[in-house]
Amino acid sequence: MSDATAMKERQPLLVVKDLKQHFPIDAGLVFKKQVGAIRAVDGISFSVNAGETLGIVGESGCGKSTSIRSIAQLYKPTSGSIVFNGTELTTASEKDLLLARRDIQMIFQDPYASLDPRMTVRSIISEPLVIYNKRGLLDKPMSAIDIETRVEELMERVGLNKAFKNRYPHEFSGGQRQRIGIARALALSPKIILADEPVSALDVSIQAQILNLLTDLQKEMGLTYLFIAHDLAVIEYISTRVAVMYLGKIVELSKAEDLYMKPMHPYTRALLSAAPIPDPKVERTRQRIILSGDVPSPDKERTGCYFYDRCPNKMPWCSCHIPPMFKISEGHECACWLYDSTDHAGQSMEEAEADALASLRAKETAGSDIGAERK
Amino acid sequence: MNIFKKKVTVATNEFNQVVVGNSLTKDAWRRLKKNKMAVIGMVVVIFYSLIAAFAGLLPIYPYDEIILDHQHLPPSLTKNAGELMRVKKMEDLYAKAWRAGRLVVTEEQDAQLKQWVKDNQNNKVWEFCYAEGEAQRAAGTFAFNSSEQRTIDRLEEKIATELQVTVKHVYWTNPETSKRYDVQKMDYKEMLELYAKMFNVSPQAVEEQTEMEIRAQLLNSIKATAPDFTDEEYAGMVEDELKKLGEKGYDSLASQNIYGKIVTQSRRVVEQELKTIVSDTDTKFPLKETFGVGNDMTAQVEASKKHERRYFLGTDYSGRDMLSRIIYGGQVSIAIGFVGTLTSVLIGIVLGAIAGYVGGKTDYFLMRFVDIMYGLPYMLLVIICMAVFGRNILNLFFALALVSWLTIARMVRGQIMSLKNQEFVEAARSMGASTGRIIFKHLVPNSLSVIIVYSTLRIPAFIMQESFLSFLGLGVQAPYASWGSLVGDAVASMTLYPWKLFFPALAMIIFLFAMNFLGDGLRDAFDPQSKNQL
Repeated sequence: MSDATAMKERQPLLVVKDLKQHFPIDAGLVFKKQVGAIRAVDGISFSVNAGETLGIVGESGCGKSTSIRSIAQLYKPTSGSIVFNGTELTTASEKDLLLARRDIQMIFQDPYASLDPRMTVRSIISEPLVIYNKRGLLDKPMSAIDIETRVEELMERVGLNKAFKNRYPHEFSGGQRQRIGIARALALSPKIILADEPVSALDVSIQAQILNLLTDLQKEMGLTYLFIAHDLAVIEYISTRVAVMYLGKIVELSKAEDLYMKPMHPYTRALLSAAPIPDPKVERTRQRIILSGDVPSPDKERTGCYFYDRCPNKMPWCSCHIPPMFKISEGHECACWLYDSTDHAGQSMEEAEADALASLRAKETAGSDIGAERK
Repeated sequence: MNIFKKKVTVATNEFNQVVVGNSLTKDAWRRLKKNKMAVIGMVVVIFYSLIAAFAGLLPIYPYDEIILDHQHLPPSLTKNAGELMRVKKMEDLYAKAWRAGRLVVTEEQDAQLKQWVKDNQNNKVWEFCYAEGEAQRAAGTFAFNSSEQRTIDRLEEKIATELQVTVKHVYWTNPETSKRYDVQKMDYKEMLELYAKMFNVSPQAVEEQTEMEIRAQLLNSIKATAPDFTDEEYAGMVEDELKKLGEKGYDSLASQNIYGKIVTQSRRVVEQELKTIVSDTDTKFPLKETFGVGNDMTAQVEASKKHERRYFLGTDYSGRDMLSRIIYGGQVSIAIGFVGTLTSVLIGIVLGAIAGYVGGKTDYFLMRFVDIMYGLPYMLLVIICMAVFGRNILNLFFALALVSWLTIARMVRGQIMSLKNQEFVEAARSMGASTGRIIFKHLVPNSLSVIIVYSTLRIPAFIMQESFLSFLGLGVQAPYASWGSLVGDAVASMTLYPWKLFFPALAMIIFLFAMNFLGDGLRDAFDPQSKNQL
């Protein structure tokens, strides 16, 4: 491998910066007024390099699926930027967006709901081809026969009998349906695949088959995955890097082996300790970190650490300071004040609040200065 | 061996065979076929539809041909119109004789007859008098007097000789080139000359006469639509109307007028000619021949003995065949049912899908509009529409379609709202599918089963509404018929001529039953949770 290609591979394919996705809560009959917002994703930043797999884990409702849908522009993000392959998706024109989307495809969680029950397998797999062909956005236009051969090729590639192309989705098992979904995602030969819990609806043996298929495809076609799961074992198996999400925020981002060997964030530790270990001896001695309380509702703005309410290691400082991502080692970041260079453990609540107030004031004056300059 | 070979050509191994999928529609069809009532319903509906569609090809009498001698003939499989007329006349004569005291009956019978008259059950009186009279005449205790006998003789002669002559075409042969022209296709001036020659009058006189007639015709139609004006105002309106017609419109009206007269004259000539040969036993009726009608003109006519017709379902108040009226009425009713449903379903799908998929303000305003339309009294709206825009089939159908898309729009909206958050729609969006494609390729096909079931159940409702309006006299106007108008016409004389009510109602009931069974069957077939699964 030459240096140039190595450089290219290291260059991030997808850069997400401070992405926020808030869903407004409306009140009123005719004239709707926004009275609040569900902060499903509240400022996440990460980048995905070409050829790697970024796994996202987190418990239900932490915003994993929402962030992937915002990246795919199924929702219009509230703020933040998503740069894919040099295109800023949030502000791109419709044509640019379509061109970018050709390289971003999705695999969905529920193989029963993600395939139109009224379409044959052939028309499901060929749909992206037909749409892009009609819009004239393919590199070279395809004839009906081209599309047909491509469909057969894809079916064989994902391990489906091409004889079944006239069948309907309800005639397949869950694993086969997920293969259909994968074939559809591959139809336009995308660069990145956003996989939204693609195996969580399948039983374990089928999960392994699908995961192996995905890794094979990655090796063969040089695909990049953004992979969501809440099964830690699945994430460990498939990911090169892992992001842990909690309440719409990324709390830890690191290489997969680092994360599993040396979890830094209290939440990650709790999460990993909750996973059973398939070895009875170790399992018996496993220490579980039990978190108190529930995941708080994401409908209010927070000033402190998002994990403050449930954190076993909380300090007064954390209640009023949002932690930035602290670099622990090469490629390992964690959003926790425990890893700040200054030690906050000794500070009392009063000190912490005074500091927070002072920094808020400083920000306000800076804001008004800018305002004055503008005037 | 042969069978074996055939199998081999279809599939050589498991990888190059093409498996035909088992679509949900196919599945539904299989389930429908198991439902006997639904299949019977479907067969009946198809039968009705075919009859209605090919009514023009059936060997039935024209539905709008008025034969006044045949008023109110009862249905009969064995007797032809002449015999029925004779029976009717005799009934009348016997009843008159009873009233005059010439037909002697026992006291008990007399009291019974009087009671029937009192109860307005004239049918029974006639029937009884006819039976009694025939018996007494055979026994020799009663005889017709000379005037009665004359009436019967005259009727019998009439039945034997009267012809129904229809002029199909009138041709004019050019004596120089001996080329034949169809008079109907000639232009006004040529027709005018032919007509003038036919009656030996000057063309100018004919032209003036025609103009007067057309003016009178226009005046009448204006008076019918806009009453309560002075004569001067009417005169002005006629002038306006004439201007509106223009040269071409006037000419076509005038040539229609003259052609009608030519046809009438030709028929008169032919009838004269036929009268002489009708008593010949050699001539077979019905006949189809060409006769010369003078002035190098020939007429192609069809002639049949008028009173040899058979009315299996009886006749109505102007002697029109009920059978053909029911068939043609069915044509109108079924067409309104199908086309009206189709239109309302199309409007409903488009608006419902847009409201459901786009959501937000569009949805809000569309649905409030639907709510308002729901709030208005439905039938009243249709009746007002009919009254304002005039009573004809097209307006009727528009008025019905206009107010009947509401339910389907709501239903489709609900379906689409529940479907639009499904993952396959998100998948389509992530593939860059346009809104139109998502609605019409993904959402509508998925809610189609509900729509199909609803529309099948909607068709009978449509027919009922049309019938109701026609019954009220707001729907189809004579000479056109629909099941509703036939029933409506018959209600007034229900006790005297029950067949006029019975047969159209029966035809309608069977169709509505069939349609409802089919709809129910479809609903069960499309519902995967239904109990009668495969």
